[in-house]
Amino acid sequence: MGCSSSLPDRNSGRLGGLNPENGGTNDAKNLRVKLVLLGDSGVGKSCIVLRFVRGQFDPTSKVTIGASFLSQTIALQDSTTVKFEIWDTAGQERYAALAPLYYRGAAVAVIVYDITSPESFAKAQYWVKELQKHGSPGIVMALVGNKADLQEKREVSAQDGMEYAEKNGMFFIETSAKTADNINQLFEEIAKRLPRPSPS
Amino acid sequence: MDTTAALAVADSFRSSTAPLTWHDFLERMRQPSAAPFVKDIKSFIVSFMNNAREAERDSAAVQEFLGNMEMAFRAHTLWAGCSEEELESAGEGLEKYVMTKLFSCVFASLPEDVRVDDQLHEKIALIQQFIQPENLDIKPTFQNETSWLLAQKELQKINMYKAPRDKLVCILNCCKVINNLLLNASIAANENLPGADEFLPVVIYVTIKANPPQLHSNLLYIQRYRRQSRLVSEAAYFFTNMLSAETFIMNIDAKALSMDETEFERNMEYAQTLVSGFSGGSDNRPGQSDENVGPLNPKHSWYPNKNQVPKMPNQSSLESSETKLTNEEPYPKDQLSKIPSISDIENKGASVLLKEEKVNQAFQDFPYLYSQVGDLTVEDVEILLNNYKQLVFKYVSLSKGLGLETPLDPSSTEQGQRQHESVLVEGHEGRKEEKSTDEMQIDFSQSADNSSSPFSEIENTESKLSEDKSVSTETDTSDEISQR
Repeated sequence: MGCSSSLPDRNSGRLGGLNPENGGTNDAKNLRVKLVLLGDSGVGKSCIVLRFVRGQFDPTSKVTIGASFLSQTIALQDSTTVKFEIWDTAGQERYAALAPLYYRGAAVAVIVYDITSPESFAKAQYWVKELQKHGSPGIVMALVGNKADLQEKREVSAQDGMEYAEKNGMFFIETSAKTADNINQLFEEIAKRLPRPSPS
Repeated sequence: MDTTAALAVADSFRSSTAPLTWHDFLERMRQPSAAPFVKDIKSFIVSFMNNAREAERDSAAVQEFLGNMEMAFRAHTLWAGCSEEELESAGEGLEKYVMTKLFSCVFASLPEDVRVDDQLHEKIALIQQFIQPENLDIKPTFQNETSWLLAQKELQKINMYKAPRDKLVCILNCCKVINNLLLNASIAANENLPGADEFLPVVIYVTIKANPPQLHSNLLYIQRYRRQSRLVSEAAYFFTNMLSAETFIMNIDAKALSMDETEFERNMEYAQTLVSGFSGGSDNRPGQSDENVGPLNPKHSWYPNKNQVPKMPNQSSLESSETKLTNEEPYPKDQLSKIPSISDIENKGASVLLKEEKVNQAFQDFPYLYSQVGDLTVEDVEILLNNYKQLVFKYVSLSKGLGLETPLDPSSTEQGQRQHESVLVEGHEGRKEEKSTDEMQIDFSQSADNSSSPFSEIENTESKLSEDKSVSTETDTSDEISQR
């Protein structure tokens, strides 16, 4: 549901560990950001990312096969760039205890639920609480209600999502990975909210 | 088809990620102007070795030294006008050199780590006997046990290397193979591209099936001694998945596998009897130098060291019949020279069994051995098929390990079947010989589990997979930086 299966570029995959720029530090103009995706399995976490990466395909980006790790750079209007390194996590209940290994050191957490599934919304709230307790200090959190194209099956109102997000100081958006609605907006909004290193 | 695709990816991955100019680094270090560097490196190594071991401090010391040296390289005329890539590979070379030297004093050096290694290895040895892909939420679309063997092999190579990067590459290759298989499966099934929901469960499953040696120590070692600035991004992600797999496995209980308590306990007990019933197998692995052993010397090709045998419950009878066997020469000479030594071993085992008083006891742990077709349930068939696949793979690995040509393609069940049958027939006719073959296979499976050497052998023969630019550890140690 939600993602069609066109392929990321197979050949541009490259081992990050050998990439000299990874050793470099962020400067004020070019941020490199670790973003972790959390949410129940089946809410479309990886579809959102694929849609984002495919939507603005950059031939120089180091897109690898599979969608569990993807990176994508976006340029902002103030001529800075943000390179997102997107870490997907397994959403099944049995793997929930492993999440800290993934969100450790993340600057951004995108918590995804499915607007047709109240269970997934409850799970999203669980992740928000967990990150508030154990996430990096100052982590930017976004709450995302996905599958917004399935209006007729909606079970979580946009109002509920928004209120919960506001109460917890998060950015909220509803997306559809299927129609690409709000996908770019999601990442652009996140980019705007990132703390900037003070220019030297 | 999956198999070839995975191979191709492992290959291209390797070549695209390994422009590691190890010899360049050594050459540069031999320049007269590098003398101060060489002095620094050597004195760091000496003083490091003289310190008492303390993991956190050791790690910090190495990280700091590597970082400082890299900065010094950057400023030095030896690298004047060099690209980032060249500087990066100098850093890689340094890391590899230093860590190859320090390996023996920091790898699995703490009793606590060794204990965890052993516990983890034992636990995996049990769980791998009964775990099914469904227990980890691997959807049928994405199940492909035969091809996962390729990923397992990558992981099992981890102890062939000493440098943190080389060990890490084994993990990354394993993940790449899995990723690619998942991708193929998703395309074939017209499903969504695989994300972490699909990926992590397979990583865990493959890790359990591979039971890589000293997993805990290997992960700690990479974490501590891989230069931190290079353990980032994609490499960090995949490494984290392996850490996750380890954590998950250590905590596996009934709930983690969606089993009820009694079912889990029963499975663990059953696995325990399987594993301990033939614990002799774990020591009976071919030694490092087994390629020197001729096919006519089955005694030595089987036991690298007599002292390692005694775990075998019926050792004395085994020893005596072994001697008899060589005297009696029950097989025609020409056959012996033709038959690969794996059959020798098998035949030897068969005649040992024939002379044993409690033949039946040796087989009581194999519940299907005396089953009739009508006894089997669909569930049994699944278990049997999995066991069969493992046996075939281990048989082939062992054959390769003994340096034999095996025409068997592990991905082709039909061929595998034929080969398996011919193995059954090869010795003598009759029921008892069949059983003996079964027993040998079980022994093989255990020796393969605990030893990377059969797999390293398979890699050497299938050299395409192992054309790693990283120099193998044996040669590393001989590469001294020497000023002339």
